[in-house]
Amino acid sequence: MRSNPVQRRGRRGGMRRGVAIAGAFALLATACAVDDDDEPDDTSTDVAEGTEDAEGTDDGAAGEDGDDGAAGDVNVDVGVTEEPCPEAVNPDNGCIYLGVLSDLSEGPFAALGIPLTAGQEAFWQRVNDEGGIGGYDVDISTYTRDTLYDPQEHSARYREIEPNILALAQTLGTEPTEAILPDMDADNVIGAPATWWSGWAFEDNDFGLILESGYSYCLESQIGLDWAGENVAPPSTVLAVGYPGDYGGDSAAGVEAWAMANDAEFGGFVETAPDAVVGSQDAAIGQVVGSGADVVVLAVGPAEAASIVGGSLAEGYEGLFLGSVPTWDPALLDSPAGEAMVAAYRHIAPWEGIDGETPAHEAIRESLGDDLPANEGYIFGWVWSYPIKAALEAAVENGDLTRAGVRAAVDGLEVDYEGILPSATFGGEANETAVRTAVINQPDPEGSLGVSPLQVGVTGATADAYEYTAACA
Amino acid sequence: MTELISSGLVRGLGIGSTYALLAVGFVIIYRATGVINFAQPALMILGAYATSVLATGAGLPFPVAVLAAMAVLAAVGMATERVALRPMVGRQPFAAAMVTVGVLTVLFVVAHRLIGTQVRTVGDPWGLQRAELFGVSVAQVDLAKIVVSMVAIGAVGLFLARSRLGLAMRATSMDQEVALAQGVDVGRMFSLAWGISAALAALAGMLIGTSAGGFEAITALVALKALPVVIVGGLDSIKGAVYAGLLIGVAEALTRLYQPRYAEWLGANVDVVVPYVIMIVVLVVRPYGLFGTREVERV
Amino acid sequence: MTVDTGVPSGRERAERETGLRVRGRGRGLRVRGRGVRGRPLLYTSYAADQAIWNTPAKRGWTLALVGAVLVLPFFLSRDLTSLVTTVFIFAIGGIGLNLVTGYAGQVSLGHAFFMGLGAYTAAVFGGAGSDQVIGWGLDMAIWLPMAGVVPALVGLVVAPLAVRVRGLYLAVLTLGLVFIGEHVFKEARSITGGAGVGRAPAEPVLFGMDLRERYHLFGYILSREAVYYFVCFAIFVVLAIAARNLTRSKPGRAFAAVRDRDVAASMMGISLRRTKTLAFTVSSFYAGVSGALLVMVIGRVTPTNWNLFLSIDLLAVILIGGIATISGSILGAAFVVLMPRIVSELADVVPFISTSPSGGFLSVFQLQTMLFGALIVLFLVLEPRGLYGLWVRVRNYWKAWPFSY
Repeated sequence: MRSNPVQRRGRRGGMRRGVAIAGAFALLATACAVDDDDEPDDTSTDVAEGTEDAEGTDDGAAGEDGDDGAAGDVNVDVGVTEEPCPEAVNPDNGCIYLGVLSDLSEGPFAALGIPLTAGQEAFWQRVNDEGGIGGYDVDISTYTRDTLYDPQEHSARYREIEPNILALAQTLGTEPTEAILPDMDADNVIGAPATWWSGWAFEDNDFGLILESGYSYCLESQIGLDWAGENVAPPSTVLAVGYPGDYGGDSAAGVEAWAMANDAEFGGFVETAPDAVVGSQDAAIGQVVGSGADVVVLAVGPAEAASIVGGSLAEGYEGLFLGSVPTWDPALLDSPAGEAMVAAYRHIAPWEGIDGETPAHEAIRESLGDDLPANEGYIFGWVWSYPIKAALEAAVENGDLTRAGVRAAVDGLEVDYEGILPSATFGGEANETAVRTAVINQPDPEGSLGVSPLQVGVTGATADAYEYTAACA
Repeated sequence: MTELISSGLVRGLGIGSTYALLAVGFVIIYRATGVINFAQPALMILGAYATSVLATGAGLPFPVAVLAAMAVLAAVGMATERVALRPMVGRQPFAAAMVTVGVLTVLFVVAHRLIGTQVRTVGDPWGLQRAELFGVSVAQVDLAKIVVSMVAIGAVGLFLARSRLGLAMRATSMDQEVALAQGVDVGRMFSLAWGISAALAALAGMLIGTSAGGFEAITALVALKALPVVIVGGLDSIKGAVYAGLLIGVAEALTRLYQPRYAEWLGANVDVVVPYVIMIVVLVVRPYGLFGTREVERV
Repeated sequence: MTVDTGVPSGRERAERETGLRVRGRGRGLRVRGRGVRGRPLLYTSYAADQAIWNTPAKRGWTLALVGAVLVLPFFLSRDLTSLVTTVFIFAIGGIGLNLVTGYAGQVSLGHAFFMGLGAYTAAVFGGAGSDQVIGWGLDMAIWLPMAGVVPALVGLVVAPLAVRVRGLYLAVLTLGLVFIGEHVFKEARSITGGAGVGRAPAEPVLFGMDLRERYHLFGYILSREAVYYFVCFAIFVVLAIAARNLTRSKPGRAFAAVRDRDVAASMMGISLRRTKTLAFTVSSFYAGVSGALLVMVIGRVTPTNWNLFLSIDLLAVILIGGIATISGSILGAAFVVLMPRIVSELADVVPFISTSPSGGFLSVFQLQTMLFGALIVLFLVLEPRGLYGLWVRVRNYWKAWPFSY
């Protein structure tokens, strides 16, 4: 006990020093705040200051790349270098770096994210093989990151790669993408989504930064139900099962809107979560079986879809399942639920599968050679890349390949999808420009990628009449 | 009523018996070495993978494939013990438990690499078929889970109770030094404990992999539910592991069945936390679980 | 430990006496510095021995390090600046965990829960409100302390249960906290935004200054990342010193007594309940603060991230860094946070690792995780005292050089 006072004194001494240091920091913090106030909202310096790859900062540097007429007078800033890309196809070209934020290892959509990213790599490889864009090759591999379909991880990885990229070639998942939108807005970074949320069609939601392709989940479920009403039997009760948030929510909002328009009963939105989170889909199965719905619209992952379809049928459910795009994977045919899937599950897709007859499909097959991809993710990745390519080309044409220049090019941008989708224009009224056609597939062990199309170019009365003025959910 | 039996009790006992299987694995390792083996989830999913490869890939008859997978995993478990855990003998149990966490991280990546992102199936004969049990239609796979787990646990119990090696293992778990003095090769007992435990994990992995959607690498996390099970039963009690496994399995199944109807305000997927809630309640009342031995404190 | 390196001369002996006398007057700390010239390792009082910077070398190194850390962001790219900021934040969390697990010997797998709690407390106090989530938009000067206080209170409530159980039972009990917490986070949508959706974290506005703006300092423009860097470093320094002080005070010694033999400790009149409760409460405070800062740097917070794996990351911080050392926690945090980045830089050089997700033997993401696990095992097996232990060995080797056998 005798040492106590001494010891206490010693501690207080340390404390005092700690406080002094803390005080010094507080001073420093204040000091740096004092000198600023004139600066903040000057975005032009923001952009210039963000550049680390100083080589590409000004037109002078760009001008040296004399072998291509277009590059001579193109302004560039972040994410564009005069150095060739690593492993460049055209070593004389500069390099445009695009980021990829995908689900590549353990997330619930990794099975889709990996071929999706491969499809995008193939797309840009083709662009580079054809000479690149305006004297630049495009590289998406260097800044590819795995974000596990998690908004927080997505944001962390976005902030990691943002200083080095011009735009995002892919940002996978509705909620993860929403998580980084404010940052993207501040940084003037545009991106292609790997998600079909209805909100991407509206500037209120995406600040005009997200270049989506094809329909939305919300219209998807309406087209699917319209199709089921005409080709199976008009449903009297419909149920939505999905993940929480804007993927499942958007799909469920479409189901609810359809029920309202067609005087059917909306059985509710059963929220479930990936198997890794909830262990099994038994709870959802119980609710599906107990609901007595004629048609259930699923907006979950592939394994979960199989569990729900298989489990519900085994417990005596006799209705029909319609699955949103991400619910299908060819491997499900070999699962215990395979037969149940063939019998009671129909897959809704935004465009034709691998056997389509358009120039885009031909290019996709050519890029694949003899190998089939694991699933349709490859095609999704390919299709989603067209708008970014169009935006980069438009920016080069305007002589402004800066982030701000690329962003400015989006308004009124015309995108040619080589036939896989009708040409699209960005920046107009969503109600006019929204894509309202789908393809309905049936699981089929004989078909390539495990499905064969039941009907192509499906449109529906409810979906066509739907007043599309804001995000559904 | 039929729903209560088929989706409640039978389903619950089915999943509960796989928890029991995993929990017995934990207990055997704990008794032999005083360590909680956090690597069990990875061993479980590798077991499911091995079964899948042998049964659907190599085309072995299903029971042979299962036994072979158990043997493979027993070897993996023994190797793990020899490489990572043997050097930790005599060190704090917490440090050794952390080593198994490191092993979990490594083996989990291996499992991911092997399984890939595609859904896999174990090629079991039960599928989604139903059976009649006292006039109630229940899933065959649930019955299979109960029967297979109980047979396996019974065999392990018999081995521990009756065989010479089992006796040696029990002696080791009581007092390592005395066992050593009696001529028991303690190191071999550690190795054996890991082998048995990993084989049981592989079996549990096969049972969990029978799910209608197949299994993925991430399914491994289900095995973490065996942790509250062993705590509820008592870390060193095989009997406790079995009772607690069944109890928690049934509680989970009943929650899944009735909570969305009667207590929706608790939120979605409450069954996930049920094991942990039960565990906390039990620990408040009995700090060493239902059947665990109270630690004797000596100064 | 009082180390005397030689036979004292008469003058020194006198000075030592002077020192004692000075200490008697209540200025014990000053003695060490000037009392015994040329004899830096001679401690003339317990206080001097227990001082934070008890050798001139330590003082010198600390100052040099602080200086280096302060100029670092002017040389680093923005993403690396952010990465180093994360090191500080993990160090805060690691120090908190080290207090309860390293010093007081209570294994906690539940730290991720307290970090999440801190992040959400901050988000409620300092975040922007919307139709979906509550947010009061208060200043960082309020939300940051609250982000520590609320988890500390919850820690205080949970502690009595944790006091009842021991060892591995406690480890699994705290793991239960993580699972139940994750469920609550997912369901409390007005606070967390819900699973798979999340919300924006607290707004980084400190004393009315928006830290997201760019500031000028000595003619440099500070990016958002650099501002975060300095703020987090300052908070980290304050909390690290506070923790160091706690551990060398009476409660700190009680922690160690309880860890080493709780029965013996209670025989000596140390209240087990109070000591363990204090350890849990303080460590939850640290966890909460680090959680709030972490999501500030990341820019988004979701309920599913506060899971077992985050707890394992934190345990790795203290295991790799060194159990029961504050500087070890810092080393461990640096290691755990920087290692994945180093691996991905190496991936370009090493042939069998692929940066593309589809090809190669192992993808770089898989290799990072695998190395992480392997290192935990290696450190525990080969160097139980962690990086700090390695450092001590190296230091002792050179100290005794050339007789270092």
